[in-house]
Amino acid sequence: MKECVKNQKNEKFNTYLQVYKMQIIRSLTYKFDVYGNIIMQSIIMLASAFFWKALYAGNDSVQGVGVSDMMVYTVVSSMISVVLTTNVERRISNSVSKGTIAIDMMRPVDIYKVFFAENLAGVTTLIFQNLLPILLIGSIFIGVPVPASKEAFLLFVLSLFMSFCINWFIAVIFGMFSFKVIEMDALIQVKKHLIRLLSGSIIPVWFFPESIKNILSFLPFVYLYQLPLDIYIGKYDSASLTKGLIMQALWVVVLYLMFRFFKKKAEDKVMIQGG
Amino acid sequence: MKNLFKELLHYIDVTLVYIKMAFLSIIEYPSAIIGWLLSNPIQFIVGFATIKFVVAEFGSINGWSYGQLAFLYGLAVISHALSMIFFIQGWFLGFYVIEGEFDRFLTRPLGVVYQFLFNQINIFGITDLIPGIIVFVYGCVKVGFSPSPANIGLIIVMLIGATLIRGGIYVILGSSAFWTRSANDFGQYTQEIFDKTTMYPLSMYPESLQFILTYIIPIGWVSFYPVSGLLGVEEIGIGSAMSVWITLLVGIVVMCVAGFVFSRGIKRYESAGS
Repeated sequence: MKECVKNQKNEKFNTYLQVYKMQIIRSLTYKFDVYGNIIMQSIIMLASAFFWKALYAGNDSVQGVGVSDMMVYTVVSSMISVVLTTNVERRISNSVSKGTIAIDMMRPVDIYKVFFAENLAGVTTLIFQNLLPILLIGSIFIGVPVPASKEAFLLFVLSLFMSFCINWFIAVIFGMFSFKVIEMDALIQVKKHLIRLLSGSIIPVWFFPESIKNILSFLPFVYLYQLPLDIYIGKYDSASLTKGLIMQALWVVVLYLMFRFFKKKAEDKVMIQGG
Repeated sequence: MKNLFKELLHYIDVTLVYIKMAFLSIIEYPSAIIGWLLSNPIQFIVGFATIKFVVAEFGSINGWSYGQLAFLYGLAVISHALSMIFFIQGWFLGFYVIEGEFDRFLTRPLGVVYQFLFNQINIFGITDLIPGIIVFVYGCVKVGFSPSPANIGLIIVMLIGATLIRGGIYVILGSSAFWTRSANDFGQYTQEIFDKTTMYPLSMYPESLQFILTYIIPIGWVSFYPVSGLLGVEEIGIGSAMSVWITLLVGIVVMCVAGFVFSRGIKRYESAGS
């Protein structure tokens, strides 16, 4: 009996492994896209580096951060943006608007796990196609992004893992809005811009006024980029680190619960429409 | 001559119908317009706020004061909005190629370029205009730019030129799909690069990059040179009116190049399917 359950579990896992493999093969189809993406992302990264260099001309350190740290920040931020790539919201809204969502849900697999496996596969290919080239180009033209310390690097990996979870849950919850709202494009844009500007991905949150910084520390955005980046360049002390990581973990839990809640609601809604 | 006139009238007629259709699409998706009304202003107001924070921290950006930056930023957003209304199609050219959508255009008795650009006027681009105008007017007040008829005329000429430059570059980038057969849409990256190069003074970048952005990919003319001329912030060696007229000229040249690349590309177009 025990053996049987174990086998079933294995089979399930294999299903998602297959999805993962399929998606990797699918994302290798268009070669031109890969080069185009690398070139565009590198240009954006280099432009940011020049931007900060010009601003720092004449200032040794602003907010306790020097120009060399800022360069590391720019390169690592570009790399994080590769890891945090997801299109699960578009995936869901497309299958809702095409009506295939009902069939997707009827299949004997957990559709969200399929989405997750697809996303993981996408990121895996992107690590080789985008992240490593960006690291290489960044190291040559801007500087090798060395972490502040060994400990900082390990904490960074931990924090980045939680960032990935937060990012995915936000995306999937957003995707579920498409059960209610028909036109999703604008909403997806709102989310994208909020993350872009409030997460510290382009402009570090240190430069924001104190009051706004405080508000942001309660929102999930800064835990996508700012916290892992702060850790990477060593801009933390034990108090701020514990507080940051606890808040980040809390957001993972809160968003997971929200995901469970909306998942239930969405399923009910599909049942009603399908019947 | 009479025929030409007749054809022109026909094009104007069709354009009016397209514009009417664009407005009707607002009624079709009322929730969409609300979404865009939220999303686009958020993007630019928050974007501008971050500039304010950076200026507060660093004093100025490469010698540009806060008011001058608002002026630059506002005009950059307005020309972005105009290019979104008229030329957003360039971003989606890849999809048109992959899906075989040009079949429709090629069989109709109207210019392909015309149909491609105007068959969907993106009326939602208006939502970009609002934050642009707000920031621009704010910048005008801050730097004391007087709204005399001559100045308003120059701004309009400059915006036409800037919009043509942007639109031309979108079409050229999109036309690459004729050769690569890829539906990848670089819209997001294109916008990010344009944001970085038009909303901040170009002079903060290294000289090699400035050279490229002035003569090869003339993004500098979208906002930096005309605004420098109008406000006299940087020594660019040409008068204020002159810089505006050059912007228009550059816009027309870029558009002509785009038309050339597009018409070369469309010859390589094969329909979708077997």
